[in-house]
Amino acid sequence: MNRQILKSSHFAVERGTIVRIKTLSPHEKLFEIALPGNARLNHDPGQFVGVSVFGVGEAPISVCSSPTKRDTFDLCIRDVGRVTHAIHALKEGGSLGIRGPFGRGFPVRLLEGNDLVLIAGGLGIVPLRSLVQYVINNRRDFGKVSILLGCRTPDEMLFGDEIEQWNKRIDVHFACTVDRAAPEWHGHVGVITTLIPGEMLVPERTFAVIVGPPVMYKYVIGELLKKQIPDRQIIVSLERHMKCGLGRCGHCQIENLYCCQDGPVFHYDEIKHIKEAI
Amino acid sequence: MAYAVLQKGRFDDFIVALAAQRKVMAPVSKGYGHFEFEEVRSATEIALRYIPTILPPKKYFMPQRETILQYTSDSIEAVVDFDPMAIFGVHTCDLAGIQCLNMVFSERPKDYNYLVRKNNIIIIGLECGDYCDQYASCAMMNSEMPNGGYDLFVTEFDEYLLFHVSTQTGEDIVKSTGLFETADASHKSRLAEYRKKKKSIFKKELPIDSKDIALLFDKCFESKVWDELNDRCLACGNCNNVCPTCYCFDVIDEPALDLTSGVRYRRWDSCQLETFARVAGGANFRENRGARQRHRYYRKFSYPVKKFFRYFCTGCGRCSRACMANIRLKDVLMDLIKAHPLDNA
Amino acid sequence: MARPKVAFFDFSCCEGCQLQIANFGEPLLDILKLIEVVEFREVMSEKYAGTLDVAIIEGSINTTHAIERIKGIRDRSKVLIAMGSCATIGGVNGIKNAFPLNDIAEYVYGGDSEYFESIQTMSVHQVVKVDYFVHGCPIYPPEFVAVLKAVLMAVPYDVPDYPVCVECKLNGNVCMYDRGVTCLGPVTRAGCNAWCIGNGNICYGCRGMVSNPNEKGSIDVIRRYGLSMEHIINKLEMYNKCRELNPHG
Ligand SMILES: Cc1cc2nc3c(=O)[nH]c(=O)nc-3n(C[C@H](O)[C@H](O)[C@H](O)COP(=O)(O)OP(=O)(O)OC[C@H]3O[C@@H](n4cnc5c(N)ncnc54)[C@H](O)[C@@H]3O)c2cc1C
Ligand code: SF4
Ligand code: SF4
Ligand code: SF4
Ligand code: SF4
Ligand code: SF4
Ligand code: FES
Repeated sequence: MNRQILKSSHFAVERGTIVRIKTLSPHEKLFEIALPGNARLNHDPGQFVGVSVFGVGEAPISVCSSPTKRDTFDLCIRDVGRVTHAIHALKEGGSLGIRGPFGRGFPVRLLEGNDLVLIAGGLGIVPLRSLVQYVINNRRDFGKVSILLGCRTPDEMLFGDEIEQWNKRIDVHFACTVDRAAPEWHGHVGVITTLIPGEMLVPERTFAVIVGPPVMYKYVIGELLKKQIPDRQIIVSLERHMKCGLGRCGHCQIENLYCCQDGPVFHYDEIKHIKEAI
Repeated sequence: MAYAVLQKGRFDDFIVALAAQRKVMAPVSKGYGHFEFEEVRSATEIALRYIPTILPPKKYFMPQRETILQYTSDSIEAVVDFDPMAIFGVHTCDLAGIQCLNMVFSERPKDYNYLVRKNNIIIIGLECGDYCDQYASCAMMNSEMPNGGYDLFVTEFDEYLLFHVSTQTGEDIVKSTGLFETADASHKSRLAEYRKKKKSIFKKELPIDSKDIALLFDKCFESKVWDELNDRCLACGNCNNVCPTCYCFDVIDEPALDLTSGVRYRRWDSCQLETFARVAGGANFRENRGARQRHRYYRKFSYPVKKFFRYFCTGCGRCSRACMANIRLKDVLMDLIKAHPLDNA
Repeated sequence: MARPKVAFFDFSCCEGCQLQIANFGEPLLDILKLIEVVEFREVMSEKYAGTLDVAIIEGSINTTHAIERIKGIRDRSKVLIAMGSCATIGGVNGIKNAFPLNDIAEYVYGGDSEYFESIQTMSVHQVVKVDYFVHGCPIYPPEFVAVLKAVLMAVPYDVPDYPVCVECKLNGNVCMYDRGVTCLGPVTRAGCNAWCIGNGNICYGCRGMVSNPNEKGSIDVIRRYGLSMEHIINKLEMYNKCRELNPHG
């Protein structure tokens, strides 16, 4: 058997260095990563990378910082299993394998000049954060911007400090709800769909972006359709099991679409006839 | 069209000569009426009459387990393992299977592991004059006749083997072994006769035109046929693992005992397995075995038509042979045809 | 890094799995470089009472004394591994429990089912928390090494939740059903590289069932081919010395 090094292989991995780690919650940590020579990752908001701990494996993780951030990028990782657990055990200065970015991100060009309703449930805030940061950094290029967040309990709310900043801005409308309140919670209580009717939407110029757990999409999309938002202007990011990011391993397949290459971001009109999608 | 003749008495010399140049893989009997492609050194090991092997020759293009990356504490290298080889005796259905995989792996982003191996494999096809067994549906899938995808292609006659020389690589083999005679008009007319007889044996196995199968699948996503399969399928994954056109894989790390170096390999995976589409948080996007069966059939008869303009079933019948639950591809298609009649039929 | 202190303990079983490890040969020496074995009755006689990094438990729990003993071991061990079917699924009786589908169990164990029920046996995780499982009767040595690596890297080891058929097919074996015999591969969780089939035997299910077997489908298949279930019983008897504890046995 001959073994040859394959420089062009799409399985090739770069070593990223962990510059900073911030603990966000008992289960989530934010990792700031630098590539060799501070090379730019060159991603679109909504794309993801394959993150490796060698000897354990690789997991697909959304890049949660805006491409406008130079030198480093952020990954927010929930400890759920083998790879994510091993990542959580790493320290600042440690290294991680990075492959990618992969997939089709949010259609930023299309969104420009339009009103945005950005809706995140639970961990959905992670991929959405890259878009929120991008929009805030280029705020003038967009119309009205609303950010709606939902999660089960207040202590599951990630990026609390940052969200506080969004909340204070005069140029974004911000609303937030929890399924179950804690005593010190003064905000909204109820599922995220309850936030939508409060919005004054102009359907022709409104794009809605939704990222959240699988159960959330159907209800939120239903609510948006009631508000006359066209299918094409409803944008979702879907999660599937992924092993390659190359449209081959088959794990992420949604009927004839590959979530890793054709998505993870889809316009609703592309998937509304696809029964396995939502 | 170039043809060359190898007298049967020289078949063994041919295999020995070829094996002196590179590894030769060929169908070998494994008992109980089953066969498998294995390395051979002489013609006596080869089964010229065989039913599709347990695993398709895909295993040489995309091995069951393949190292894709090696790492140490200070290096990470993507790698490919390959062995120059000749595969002798590939039936037309399996040639079609390899053609399907070629399309998949040369599409961008290209899979260089597959492509490097492909470029190191010489393919020698072998014609079926008659059906292998009752599970085949190669005529319906248009893969019973040679349709390219080989360097040499063999048709067996009583006294000799007739080789169709399709590529320069094939020609070089014929020349370098020095065992062949040139074919004349009589050989070619014997071949024409053979093909004529073959056409009378191979008839589309089900009452549906090949082009209509895709239309059938446009209508049967919600079919109750899948519910019935949900009750019967054991989710063992055999039908995937034996299929010449399945290419799903898993990626797994294996650390060495020093725990700082090791390899990453990919391994065949199956969409029929419970864990295939499960994600963190517990959601399983194809929890139902019937939905998984449906997915497998759609990956043969519908989705690839949209992407590659061809079916990803060669009619080899392996999935039917390998299923201990007696789920037979032809029966399932027949059930679908009956349950969802096409308007023009 | 100091080598982790590892001890092997045996409860009710044949100690066949420890024997498997003692017979590892060459790879054993490499493993011994990574760990410090402080108790291993099969090959050593010393007793160690301090804190353990890793306790490896063989055998099932079937006396009140054993319950106290395993709790004591758990208390002084950072990581606890259950090794071998007796420990992971309770041996013969446990294997039956590991097949929660009563109908299948009846098919498998037929008239002998009462014989299998007579031992009050618990697997280790029914008594104390188990961090890692090495299934099998006997264990498959390469899997033991894989688990040990996971322990040393402090990451979980996931027991495959797909059937033995997967490994069997990848090895290109002629299926037992094609040889006219029944095989429990389709409902048994993989991880052993289908080594019984590779050695010409059927899979008798020693690793326990996959998490969501198709009950109805399995019975259909076994009914259709169900000629040779006594093979399965024979295999169990051959490998599973746990039955020596059986008062009726
Ligand atoms: C496009 C995309 C973006 C994602 N972004 C983030 C993110 O920003 N932050 C974050 O914390 N998580 C994210 N995830 C989820 C993350 O990939 C999984 O949690 C992770 O792969 C689990 O790996 P593990 O080895 O830790 O878990 P495992 O021990 O392998 O398994 C735990 C569970 O995760 C499932 N799982 C295993 N591998 C995958 C996989 N490759 N994809 C999905 N599920 C898997 C298993 O089936 C099991 O149910 C994203 C997933 C996708 C597909
Ligand atoms: S071989 Fe048969 S039982 Fe096994 S997964 Fe395929 S259809 Fe199901
Ligand atoms: S689906 Fe079945 S018949 Fe078709 S190519 Fe695959 S194994 Fe052969
Ligand atoms: S399926 Fe057709 S081409 Fe393939 S081996 Fe059988 S008869 Fe030959
Ligand atoms: S021999 Fe057993 S394990 Fe192997 S494929 Fe057949 S049923 Fe499955
Ligand atoms: S093949 Fe079956 S019986 Fe044999 S070790 Fe594996 S699980 Fe146990
Ligand atoms: S992740 Fe492999 S095909 Fe999409």
